[in-house]
Amino acid sequence: MGALTRAVRNVSRRKIRTFLVIIALSFSMAIMISIPAGIMANQKAAQSIIENYNNTITSMQEEINKTSTLIEISASSRRGMFSGTPSGMPFPGFEQEETFINATVVDEISTIEGVKDIVPFLEVSSEETTEETMSTPRGSFTISRPVYTITGVCLKSTFIDEYSILPTNVIDGRNLTEGDSGIIIISLNLSDYYSVYVGDKLKVYSETFKVVGIYNSTARTVHMNITDVQRITENMGNVSRLDVYVEDISYVDGIAEVIEAAYPEFYVTTYEDRLANLERTQEMYETTLENAESTVSQTQAVAFQEILVAIVATSLIVLFMMLYTVRERTKEIGVLKAIGFSNWNVMSQFILEGILLSVIAGGVGALMGTIGAPVISSLLLPSVNPFSTHQSGFPTQNINFGTALSQSVTVTPDPQTLLLAFSVFLLLGALGSLYPAWRAARTSPMEALRYE
Amino acid sequence: MSNVVLETENLEKVYAIGRRKINAISDLNLRVNKGDFVAIMGPSGSGKTTLLNLLGCLDRPTNGKVILDDVDITRVPEKALWKFRKYKIGFIFQTFNLLPYLSAIENVELPMEGTKKSKSERRKRTHELLEIVGLSARKEHKPPRLSAGEQQRVAIARALANNPSILLADEPTGNLDVKTTFEIVRLLSKLSLTQGTTIVMVTHDSNVASRAGRMLFLSDGKLLDREKKGMHLLKGDLTCPHCHKPIQSDHTFCPRCGKKLE
Repeated sequence: MGALTRAVRNVSRRKIRTFLVIIALSFSMAIMISIPAGIMANQKAAQSIIENYNNTITSMQEEINKTSTLIEISASSRRGMFSGTPSGMPFPGFEQEETFINATVVDEISTIEGVKDIVPFLEVSSEETTEETMSTPRGSFTISRPVYTITGVCLKSTFIDEYSILPTNVIDGRNLTEGDSGIIIISLNLSDYYSVYVGDKLKVYSETFKVVGIYNSTARTVHMNITDVQRITENMGNVSRLDVYVEDISYVDGIAEVIEAAYPEFYVTTYEDRLANLERTQEMYETTLENAESTVSQTQAVAFQEILVAIVATSLIVLFMMLYTVRERTKEIGVLKAIGFSNWNVMSQFILEGILLSVIAGGVGALMGTIGAPVISSLLLPSVNPFSTHQSGFPTQNINFGTALSQSVTVTPDPQTLLLAFSVFLLLGALGSLYPAWRAARTSPMEALRYE
Repeated sequence: MSNVVLETENLEKVYAIGRRKINAISDLNLRVNKGDFVAIMGPSGSGKTTLLNLLGCLDRPTNGKVILDDVDITRVPEKALWKFRKYKIGFIFQTFNLLPYLSAIENVELPMEGTKKSKSERRKRTHELLEIVGLSARKEHKPPRLSAGEQQRVAIARALANNPSILLADEPTGNLDVKTTFEIVRLLSKLSLTQGTTIVMVTHDSNVASRAGRMLFLSDGKLLDREKKGMHLLKGDLTCPHCHKPIQSDHTFCPRCGKKLE
């Protein structure tokens, strides 16, 4: 019959009180575990934004460098804005009327001295639309948008080989080649959306096309021969974009000026415009990063306060519980001292009970924290959300944060955090019961025996 | 080593209530020899419990000495008094004061915690004590499931756990009916006679007191001059404290070993 057995009996004999105290303490423990886990998740989120930033800027830079001799001509202003976008998927919520360039313009531009090649594209939206609910800081709204985008490509082998006009990351089947007609390649996202695979058929507008390849892309897109697109959309002789390649970079400005003068209704984009666009993107990224870093530091400040509150709450709960216990068991203390228990024996008895409560509550809290960390941290901490910059007017469509974040922000307490929190919790249990135990130890046995 | 277990010299305890001072114990001199069974009688407020608290190291006297086994315990620091309470003194209370969440056996074993006795020795001693008080069959029961008399028996066994020099009993029969009172007093008498246990018992019941070897009277904190010899033993329990052979109540010397009977 040792002090521990007595502590267990004492803790267990008042079941409801012990249960309530353990629940209260468990919440403190769960908070102590969840908050550091939340902070780490936020730091990882910020890290993933930085990595995404670096990757996107690098790929855009490479793209711009590769296309230094390219002049883009589009019928819509947005085409220019979106140059370099990996997906080409229209940003949701931006409705536009599709305008086209007549194919005769190709012949006219090709006569300009210094022009090497002109690659036409026809991009149209699918007939089918889907409704999506958008959540923004200002509320939710439903928008209707095309399910996918169709890109018609001029399938000449010289264009395919020299200008990378087709997706390069085909993961199943084959890519389009010169002369292909009546067949399509689709993005992985679209394949998943319709459950359509290589060898299957997909109805595009009024015609059915055989899928010969699937390329890796998070956007929902279809690539096919430009003449097929013109036929099914009844846009014979129309294109939506012209990529004009010139002989040398030194010709770019001059030729761009000539085209702008001849076709003021079109939007002409050159290497310099794309560089400017890159700079805007960089600025936007930097603002996003600043916001993320600011959120992380805010999170840390809030977390510090919340952990402090949890620590104080834990100590106070143990303190008051043990003070009440000491008062309630005054006579028992008198008896123990009368039969020869030293002050230390009495004190250690109550400290042991405080620690025992902490051990039980710590275990329960660790379990609660491990399971409920995502919920608890989301309730108590602001999260790093780069899309919050959207409300300040920055176009975020060029930056694919979403996937990176959803993969990286998993709030799971690591073993070190659990061990540290548990140790702190035990220490708080011991500290919280120190004063009540000291009071118990210095109780006069004679007075304690008289206590009723 | 002298035969005196407990002795007080000019013992005084004064309580101050505001400016008023109350002499709870005044100039009290008492000597208790080894094996004595002393009953201290007196009306309520006469200082009986105060005296017992002073003798049992639960309270400090204002003046005077309490010498227990040749040590003046009034000079022992407060922090070291637990050793005297643990090894030299056994307490029996009117309200038994058993720990309700421990079984009879665990209550008896409690004072042995922290002593040099091994676990098996402690358990063996506990069984012996429960055998002595006649509760072997009820050893696993917790106090709420024991009768008042059984609880007091457990309390007596607990008081004897560390083989103390003296048992201090504060109104041990105060909460018991007549039949149980008789049983408890007979048990104490038996312990005094057969085990040689020194007992100081405070009571206001003259019938109970008369069973002790000596009766002292306390009034207003002072021992009165008159002292009576009690019956010391109850009929049917009479044995010699020296050779443990049966004796008669009117014997002054043991017919078997020839030693003087107190």
